[in-house]
Amino acid sequence: MPEPGRDLARRRDALWAGLALPGIAWLAVFFLLPFYVIVAVALGTVDPILQTPAPAWNPLDWDWSAFQFVLEGLFTGERAFGQVFVRTIVYVTISVALSLAIAYPVAYYVARHGGRWKGLLLLGLVAPFFISYLMRMLAWINLLQDDGWVNDVLLWVGILDAPRNWLDGRASSVILGMVYGYVPFMILPLYAFLDRIDRSLLEAARDLGASRFQAFRMVTVPLSVPAILTGIAIIALPMFGDYYTPDLLSQSPRTSLIGNQINLYILGGQQIPVGAALVVVLMLMLSVLLAYYVSATTRAGRRLRE
Amino acid sequence: MAFHPREARFGRREFLGRSAVGIAGLSSLSTILAACGGGSGSSVADLALARPDNPVTWLLYDDNPPVAAGLEPEQGPLKIYNWNGYLWPRIIKDFAKEYGVKVELSTFSTTDESMAKISSGAVDYDVFFPYQERLGRMVLGKLLQPLNHEYLPNLAKNVWPALRDPFYDKGSQYTVPYTVYTTGIGYRADKVQTTPWKLSNPYEIYWDERNRGKTYLLDDGREAPIHMLLKNGITDTNTEKPEDIDLAKQELKSLTPAVNVKLSTDDYTNLPEGRAWVHQMWSGSAISAKWYLPEGTGPEVLGYWFPPDGVGAIGSDMMAVLRSAKNPVLAHHFINYLLDAKHGYDNFAEFNGYQPPFVALDPERLVADGIVSENLKSAVVREQDFVNGNQPLELSPEGQTLWQNAWAEFKAGA
Amino acid sequence: MSTATHTTRVDRRPSRARRFRAWLANPWGRPRFLPLFTLLYFVWSLVPILIAIRFSFNEGRSRSTAQGWSLRWYYDDPDLSVWNDPDLRSALFQSLRLSAIAVAIAVPLGVGLAIGLTRWRGRVARTSRFVSVVPLVTPEIVMGVALFLVFVNLLTFIPLGTTAQAIGHVTFSLSFVLIIVRARLLSIGPEYEEAAQDLGAPPLQALRLALLPMLTPAIVASAIIVFAISMDDFVVSAFLSSGSTTDTVPVRIYSAGRTAPTPALNALATLTLAITLVIAAIAFVLWRLVELKRGRRGSTLQELATLETEATRLR
Repeated sequence: MPEPGRDLARRRDALWAGLALPGIAWLAVFFLLPFYVIVAVALGTVDPILQTPAPAWNPLDWDWSAFQFVLEGLFTGERAFGQVFVRTIVYVTISVALSLAIAYPVAYYVARHGGRWKGLLLLGLVAPFFISYLMRMLAWINLLQDDGWVNDVLLWVGILDAPRNWLDGRASSVILGMVYGYVPFMILPLYAFLDRIDRSLLEAARDLGASRFQAFRMVTVPLSVPAILTGIAIIALPMFGDYYTPDLLSQSPRTSLIGNQINLYILGGQQIPVGAALVVVLMLMLSVLLAYYVSATTRAGRRLRE
Repeated sequence: MAFHPREARFGRREFLGRSAVGIAGLSSLSTILAACGGGSGSSVADLALARPDNPVTWLLYDDNPPVAAGLEPEQGPLKIYNWNGYLWPRIIKDFAKEYGVKVELSTFSTTDESMAKISSGAVDYDVFFPYQERLGRMVLGKLLQPLNHEYLPNLAKNVWPALRDPFYDKGSQYTVPYTVYTTGIGYRADKVQTTPWKLSNPYEIYWDERNRGKTYLLDDGREAPIHMLLKNGITDTNTEKPEDIDLAKQELKSLTPAVNVKLSTDDYTNLPEGRAWVHQMWSGSAISAKWYLPEGTGPEVLGYWFPPDGVGAIGSDMMAVLRSAKNPVLAHHFINYLLDAKHGYDNFAEFNGYQPPFVALDPERLVADGIVSENLKSAVVREQDFVNGNQPLELSPEGQTLWQNAWAEFKAGA
Repeated sequence: MSTATHTTRVDRRPSRARRFRAWLANPWGRPRFLPLFTLLYFVWSLVPILIAIRFSFNEGRSRSTAQGWSLRWYYDDPDLSVWNDPDLRSALFQSLRLSAIAVAIAVPLGVGLAIGLTRWRGRVARTSRFVSVVPLVTPEIVMGVALFLVFVNLLTFIPLGTTAQAIGHVTFSLSFVLIIVRARLLSIGPEYEEAAQDLGAPPLQALRLALLPMLTPAIVASAIIVFAISMDDFVVSAFLSSGSTTDTVPVRIYSAGRTAPTPALNALATLTLAITLVIAAIAFVLWRLVELKRGRRGSTLQELATLETEATRLR
């Protein structure tokens, strides 16, 4: 290779690095560094009189008592933390399953049968992005009031005899809220994948004598496994940090999630290390899920290529 | 349609809900440490825990003297730092006109937030409204300056004797009282089958299964457990005995299966709007609840129980001058202005709902004035309540941890 | 097929059975069950919002029953309307302020990051590529707590409030910009700016002349998305707020939503939605004008939507 070419390549690389540098620096300071701060706070101590956290920056000073407390709460005695973790996992699992049951058919229909309405349908799918999550919860609070429209409709249809108190702290209202809030974020990636499936594959399957349903089952579903996994990851991970949905739709201790406990300890002031330790435990749990997701999508991708 | 002026403001409640859980989340550790005179050298032993039977006279420091007597008020602008929505704007306007100064009101909605700002040293507010559970720490951190009573004649003139020289600040060296309230049980007379008044143990009403899904406790890590203690005859609202705290926790937890208890600090709307039938309630909320009743519903549907013998949960807020004040004399004048019988009364009746501890305020007068309806007379705080009642006060670090963990465990729904 | 035989046995009338069998064999085929399902989804997803908007125009103070029409909760009410209640008004402005800052900082940073990381080959680039998408899958509470602890314990010269909130918003927005722009870059390929360089243009100029115009749709789309997610953010804004003056619209909805004595809250939410949509529409129209001037046709809307889905697909 002639010398000027290599020089150009090096100059280009410098340009690319220079362009990326500000962003990388930003993420290093405001994304990576904060994680270390969480760890340092979780493993730090508390000033005895002011009770503010004294982070342990030096690993030699690490104090594991907050973690010990969290672990005890997870596995021993009343298992308060353990029960909240289990409840969170159950809620997230149900919500994700329901979301998938709603999202897949809708995404499939818009992608495959949208026809000339496709643009409009797509706009409808994108619309919730522009409506804040909290506003969508507010809409449901309005509807679920004792004299709200949900009760009105159910009474009118005759399903209920008397208005029901939907906001009395029942799990179903919280799960409904979570599904309602997160399902749009699952539909879009599914749509993007389904829209891209090569139609000739389906036609080939049909030519080989498969019924439409068989074609769907044997071609479309396997092809969309990575998309389904992506959709699950996109909504499940934020759901694990949710605390506002139960706060808004329930207010009962019965439906409180990990996020509520974190919130209590972090904003409560006196035991911030416990809150930080809870965050670390949550992150560890989620990174296991994330690792599974990454390996599962890679595997699915490899299988498809074969 | 009439509306209470506080209608759109929630700050005070948010604060009450949060702060009792959070005792000392000072944002800027280093600065307050500097204020303490070097490092966390100040030990827990320096923090006196004031109790009715253990009155505390706070130390005065040579480097933090009170303002000299006989000075003219400064030219302002006077900077006030208060809970969001806890002071009638008209009072501020009137004061500004009378003294010919500008007055700036800044607000906060959590104690953590206010303490962080003040201790950072970046602000120079004059008047501040401190909170019982932080008082000792603020004095130790030299964030407040001692008061000069020469500028505060209204303290002796109007305020209850019991609060002129309170146990938590003997000689009112750093603080004067602003408002007082009780924590009782609010209920909807038109919905509940039985009222607390009819029960031999009124706190049992929380377990009345007929109010399932309609029973609320205050979302407050001190207030809610305190009612559980009182139910069991434990009147030490600042107990640090693990068995007491455990008992309170077990009582709280039993409320979830019994009535599916809910937690909120919006007592002042939950009850009148019918979301709650039984609600642990602040007396100030009971008084302002009438503004939130739906049209066509009269205040007679509201009820408020507080033990007639006064042995119940009470609370109080204070006023103080910050050490950073640029207008200390003017700040004293403003505090004295709020302690004036008329101004204090107006601030309460026209806006606040939380009453000043004035000798001249008694239930009969408030009912006669139409501020409080006859059926809510028990929401008016009497001086006797303050002698007999029990406040949530500053706890030791260990005590706070016990309280918070019990509260967190209850809130986990375990 | 066992299901099918089972069905025939149960259902005696053959014609219906056959129809049912056909349906069962092919529930996803011709629009039959799916259009109804999709319609129901749209009703379920959008009608509550429309109802909430409708209540914001209520004349009375109920948020659960319709009571006439008025602008009382927007402007007319002297104390409680969005315009006249300082808390609600400041929440609206705080949300707008933060979104504007987030767009102004995150878009340039993110575009640079995307171009740099896509074209630059090396280990640092690979690691950075991974790190810069992690924010997308980090629960907001983790990010909120992390930044809160940083500003309180380490970078104490940055006070809680607008500055801290803006930093938080830029941080979670960056990855969105990165992913949208990167998707576009990958589809363009490096040929164009290489060609420009071969023709003698210095790299930076090649970038500006050859690459940036082609990236415009992605940049516009990412600006719209950053604006929208910043308006939507609750957790980070709440953790980094310094009090009532820096509360954003979602924070206000959260603290008042459970009681919300008046429809002013609905009015506030409606205004937020309207502003977001108007700004998205303006950006969209401007972009369309540019495209038309360049003589390009085709559905810009479709392209925008595709870009947005692209963003979520790659998360």
